[in-house]
Amino acid sequence: MTEPDGHPILRTRNITKAFGGLQALDRCTLEVRPGTITGLIGPNGAGKSTLFNVVIGLFAPDSGRVYFNGERIDGQPPYKLVRKGLVKTFQIPRELRAMTVLENLLISAKSVPGEQFLNLFLRSRRVRGKELESQRKAEEILRIVGLFELRDEYAMNLSGGQKKLLELSRALMSDPTMILLDEPVAGVNPTLTLKILEVIERLRRQGRTFFLIEHDMDVVMKRCDWVIVLHQGRKLAEGTPDTIKKDQNVVEAYLGS
Amino acid sequence: MSVPAPIVDFVNFLIPAGIFAMLALALNIQWGHTGLFNAGVAAFLAIGAYMAAIYLTPYVAPSIVYPGHWGYAQVWQPWFGTAVAFVIAVLLSTLLAAFVGLLIALPILRLRTDYFAIATLALAEIIRLILTNAQTATAGTIGILRIPGPFDTLLPGDPDLQAVAYATLVIASLIVMFWLVQYVTRAPWGRVLRGIREDEEATLALGKNVFSFRTQAFVFGCALMGAAGGFLASHLGSITPDNFNPLATFAIYVMVILGGSGNNFGVIFGAFLYYSLDWVSVRIDDYFPPALAEKMPAIRFAAIGVILVALILFRPEGIFKEKKRTYPAVTK
Repeated sequence: MTEPDGHPILRTRNITKAFGGLQALDRCTLEVRPGTITGLIGPNGAGKSTLFNVVIGLFAPDSGRVYFNGERIDGQPPYKLVRKGLVKTFQIPRELRAMTVLENLLISAKSVPGEQFLNLFLRSRRVRGKELESQRKAEEILRIVGLFELRDEYAMNLSGGQKKLLELSRALMSDPTMILLDEPVAGVNPTLTLKILEVIERLRRQGRTFFLIEHDMDVVMKRCDWVIVLHQGRKLAEGTPDTIKKDQNVVEAYLGS
Repeated sequence: MSVPAPIVDFVNFLIPAGIFAMLALALNIQWGHTGLFNAGVAAFLAIGAYMAAIYLTPYVAPSIVYPGHWGYAQVWQPWFGTAVAFVIAVLLSTLLAAFVGLLIALPILRLRTDYFAIATLALAEIIRLILTNAQTATAGTIGILRIPGPFDTLLPGDPDLQAVAYATLVIASLIVMFWLVQYVTRAPWGRVLRGIREDEEATLALGKNVFSFRTQAFVFGCALMGAAGGFLASHLGSITPDNFNPLATFAIYVMVILGGSGNNFGVIFGAFLYYSLDWVSVRIDDYFPPALAEKMPAIRFAAIGVILVALILFRPEGIFKEKKRTYPAVTK
C-alpha cells in the first residue's frame, strides 16, 4: 500500500512546544489522511501526547500551525474544535466520577440548547426535544460498546477497561469526523481490547478518521493503515506498517532488534 | 390583633433561618454543583445588605455624633410605601451583587481552586474594609440604623404582625428560589456544572466552554447571595460591617456540607438544622449555672467544630446525599 489518497484531514506544520527546558515538540510536521486509522508511535517522551494536546487545543504551541480540513485551528479552544468535528480521548480515562455513565454521554453531545441558561425558560420544549434525541443516541452508542446495562451506574464504579470504552463512547456523542485516541487499549484485557478495536474498525468504515497513540505493536501493525514514528519531538519516519517494521532508523530508535 | 408569643418566637426563628437557607442554596450552586470554592460569601451578602439599606433609608448628613450615610428613601417615599420599596431594594441588591460577582469573576475565575479561594477571601475583607472606612456612605462601624421592613406601612405599629408577614414573605421567596435552582441544576445547564466539578479539563475537552459556565454559576450564586443580603438588612433593622466577617462565610459552608453538597433540598435542611442548633444553644444558657453560661458562646463554636469534624469523618456526603440522576430508557 502506498500513501493513502485524498487531501489530509489534519496537518501540522513545524509545531514547537517546550516545557521549561524540555523540548517536547521540535518543528513537528505531519499529515493524517481522511478515513484512515493512522498510528502514532515512538519512545516514551517522544512528544506524542503533547502533540495530541496541542492539536485539540489543550496546549497552545510555542510556534507552528495546525490545520483541520484546511482550516487553521491552532490556538482555538477545545470547545470550538469539538463543534468542527475533532475530539480526543485521554490516555488515563477522565470519567466524570459522580455522574452516571449515561450522563457522561449526555454531557458530551454538542449544540445542546438546554445548556444555555435562558433557553431553559424561553425554549423549554426545544430543550426537552434535544434531550430525548441525545438520550436516544447515547443509548445506541452504549449498546454498541456494551455498556447499556451499566448506564445508571456511577462512572467511578466502572472497571479500567470499561472506562476506556466510556472515553470512546463520549467522543462519539459529538459526531466527530476525526477522533484522537491516546492509548485506547493500554491496560485493557484481551477480550475488551478486541471489542474496542472492533468498534474503531466499524466507525472507520462509516468514514471517520482515527489517529491513535499506541504502544502495543501488535495492534499498530495489524490495525493501522499508516504509521507515523515520532522521535525527540519530530517525525522520524512514516509509512505502511510493513515498511515501518523494516525501517532501520525506526528499529534503532524504538522497535529494537 | 395580638399574635401569641410562641408564634412570634417561631417566626423570629423562621426569618433568619430562611435567609441562611437562601445563602446555602446560593453557595450550593457555586460549591455544591460547580466546585467553586467561594470563600467570600460574606462579601456578596454585605453588598446586598448595604444596597438595600441605602435604598430603604433616608440620607443622613454627617454630624459630630454620627458619620451619616447615603440614603434614597426621599426618592420613593412620596410615591409608595415600604412594601414596594422593599421589592425594588431586593432587586437592586440582587443586581449589584451579580454585577460585582461578574467583575470579580473575569480576572479570578481562571485561577485554580486554591487561589480562587484566597482571592475571594481577600475580596470579602476588601469589601468589609471599604464598608468600614467609606464613612459618609455607610456610617462606618456604627452602621446604618432604622432600616424599614416591607410591612412597616401596610401593618403600622404592630411589630409582631409585621414579623409574621415578613416570615411568610421570606419562606415564600425561599420556595421560589429553591424551585428556580432545582430547575436549572437538573437541566443540561446544571449537568455541565457538575461535569466541571468532577473534572474541569475533561469537560473542556468534551467541548464545553468551561470558563463561561463557571462565570454563569458564580454570578447566579452571587445574585442570590445579594438577594439574601436585602432580606437580612430589613430583618436586622441595622447593619454594621461586623455582621459580614469571614466567619459568616464559614457558617454557610457548614450548612451546605451538613445538609449535603449538591443536594438543593439538603442544603436548605442543613441551614435550618444549623440555625436551630444555634437557636437552642442560645436559649439553654439559662438552664446552666452562671459560670458555665458565661462560656456558652465559646462552647457553641467548639460544638460546631466537633459536629463538622464528625460529619467529615462519618458522613462526608452530608445528611442528604446528592441524588443520582437516572433516566428511563427511551429505546428498546
